[in-house]
Amino acid sequence: MQQSADYRELARHYGLAPVPDSVLRLTQLVARQDSDLEEITQLIDQEPALRKRLLQLANPGAKSEAEYELDTVERAIFQRGIGCALLLAMGTPLAFALAKTFQTMLALKLETLTPQQLKPIDPPCFLGTIAFGGKAAGTVCLRMGASSATLIAAKILGMEPKDLKDLTAISDAVGELLNIITGNFKSNLCDAGLNCRLQPPKVWHTSEAYTPAVPGVGLECLGFRVGQIVLLVDVSVNPWNEE
Amino acid sequence: MALKILSVDDSRTIRLIVTRAFKAYDCIICEAANGEEGLAAAAREKPDLVILDVTMPVMDGVTMLGKLKDDPDLKAIPVIMLTAESSQENVLQISRLGVRDYLAKPFKEEQLLEKAGRVVPLVKKAA
Repeated sequence: MQQSADYRELARHYGLAPVPDSVLRLTQLVARQDSDLEEITQLIDQEPALRKRLLQLANPGAKSEAEYELDTVERAIFQRGIGCALLLAMGTPLAFALAKTFQTMLALKLETLTPQQLKPIDPPCFLGTIAFGGKAAGTVCLRMGASSATLIAAKILGMEPKDLKDLTAISDAVGELLNIITGNFKSNLCDAGLNCRLQPPKVWHTSEAYTPAVPGVGLECLGFRVGQIVLLVDVSVNPWNEE
Repeated sequence: MALKILSVDDSRTIRLIVTRAFKAYDCIICEAANGEEGLAAAAREKPDLVILDVTMPVMDGVTMLGKLKDDPDLKAIPVIMLTAESSQENVLQISRLGVRDYLAKPFKEEQLLEKAGRVVPLVKKAA
């Protein structure tokens, strides 16, 4: 308790903005192997954004809300199991961190894509991955086409996209973007009791196209768009790793 | 005399952003890509301020901060952490080691300048 109070005081002093309480609370609940499904259901039901994403995850084949077979949080959790809530707890901080990064460093407002809007990325692509290990283990992948990567890197570096030809500079900017979102994600996991460590980011420039994966057990896939920039983020996680 | 600021980050992108942020000010920016290089640069350059990342290869920022604070010649150099990791444990540990401020990524250049300006006297370059 004292440690928590000390942290709150320091966070106020340094001006650190925490993730929303509901997201932290959800991660804490899911982090416990003996989680209370009713408590998780209540928490998600009270937050419109969490509720909307959970129902999307629970109805992967539906093209619109009208087609949802599982149309309440309770039915989704009880029929799909805690895996759905787990994906929500992992994916939401990543989406939050990515949106905040774009708004803060690029002055761009990201729009979240629905699963139906996720389209294959034409080559050449940039792929960045960061592995994390500890009480939670997994990988976060950030994927985008070369034109999206160039637009992002140019904006971060204050250059015109046409003047940015250096692939190393573009890769470094993609790696740092991944580093920032994963660092925020890791902080949320640690604060929820799932201590883990990050590996340095790895970035590849590849000539292969990428088809978005279908979200499922232990895998969340998120898509984002702003103007001509399209990004895909996958997170695969085992929250109860034995280290 | 120009202020010396040491930016320690494995990302060239962040080092470029830091350099750009201080461009209008009478500062010399030195760079290092990890904690080991950062310690060597701190001993060599005796900067007025260190801006330090946490997760880096070879030697991370927390280890570098600990070694800096253990060195009688370097321990007085003020440090601002610039990192995406702001978990309770990280913030508490880093705070105990002794930092002047903590800026979480993502950040705006103005935020960095504001925090740096509270630690060292930033003077605009003459037009």
